[in-house]
Amino acid sequence: MSQQTIIVKRDVQAEQKADAEVERVRLGRRGTLVVNLLSSPGSGKTSLLEETARHFAGRRSMAVLVGDLETDRDAQRLAPLVPVAQLTTGGACHLELPLVQRGLTALGDPAVDFLFIENVGNLVCPASHDLAEHLRVVLISTTEGDDKPGKYPKMFRTSQAMLITKLDLLPHVPFSVEAVTADAQRIQSALQVFACCSLTGSGIQEWCDFLEEQHQLQLAAYHEPAGNR
Amino acid sequence: MHERSLVQNLLKQVRQIVAEQGGGCVSEICVQAGDLSGVEPLLFAAAFEEMVPAVFSEECQLKLDLVPVTAVCAHCQHEFEVLDFQFHCPECQSGSVDVIQGDDLQLISITLEPKDSHEGVSA
Ligand SMILES: [Zn+2]
Repeated sequence: MSQQTIIVKRDVQAEQKADAEVERVRLGRRGTLVVNLLSSPGSGKTSLLEETARHFAGRRSMAVLVGDLETDRDAQRLAPLVPVAQLTTGGACHLELPLVQRGLTALGDPAVDFLFIENVGNLVCPASHDLAEHLRVVLISTTEGDDKPGKYPKMFRTSQAMLITKLDLLPHVPFSVEAVTADAQRIQSALQVFACCSLTGSGIQEWCDFLEEQHQLQLAAYHEPAGNR
Repeated sequence: MHERSLVQNLLKQVRQIVAEQGGGCVSEICVQAGDLSGVEPLLFAAAFEEMVPAVFSEECQLKLDLVPVTAVCAHCQHEFEVLDFQFHCPECQSGSVDVIQGDDLQLISITLEPKDSHEGVSA
């Protein structure tokens, strides 16, 4: 018997992607829009979620899964506002679906309108992992420079929205909203762009309106008998 | 650095395929990483070197090929290579393009040595 070469040609993450799709459909069918938030460390994801929770208070239900390398400080900040579970990666640079599912179970698998996943601060690795999200949003703060899209193309290519944060600092930093928008849209032409400031609350209304619109738009597909998602 | 997690998925997939084939000794694993796969080739190779001995024989080689990103225009169906991550059709300038290659990590092939010349691999 001689050496044998078996041709496979299969995505190494095929199984993970299929699992994510099953979970996405399950959550979508019962009315939960899953939003995966990605950014560099310190871009203001937790502050944004605090403002979002205040905006939705009494009108829309939400829960947050907080991915953190070691600490649970972000989860502690959000806990007084919304149901929150901490996902400690033990130093890993990104979240994977099984960890998200464990977090959901820890929360009692609530049928909330929005499930936010605050991913680990990193613009590279999280882009390659499907967490069953319906919406992927990349945050970029005015303090981190406007050349990020070109450096992290996959992140911007796979996101549906970009949220520019810390808008209040714009007069003090070399950051152009126009330049970063043009750059990001050369990578993903359908990318929707928002700007906000969690400190003053500016732009939060627009951001939440967008979430409402996406909730309706994306989850409608699950109610159609011949929906193709 | 998520390459370890990708190598783990890869080795799991290879092990399943070897089991389907009725066992054998894996001498080479060929993979293709796209420019938009999020795979850093050096880190991937290092993670492979480190993790493969626990699963397969130490002679198991990794062959890693890099593939460029290719897209097709949704408007005019023109197929093109995406340069510098500029996702615009060079024919009609449309930004509505679908990536058809280069956004994932693919297991291309596995080379198996005959069972009698090596110890079989338990799956
Ligand atoms: Zn075209």
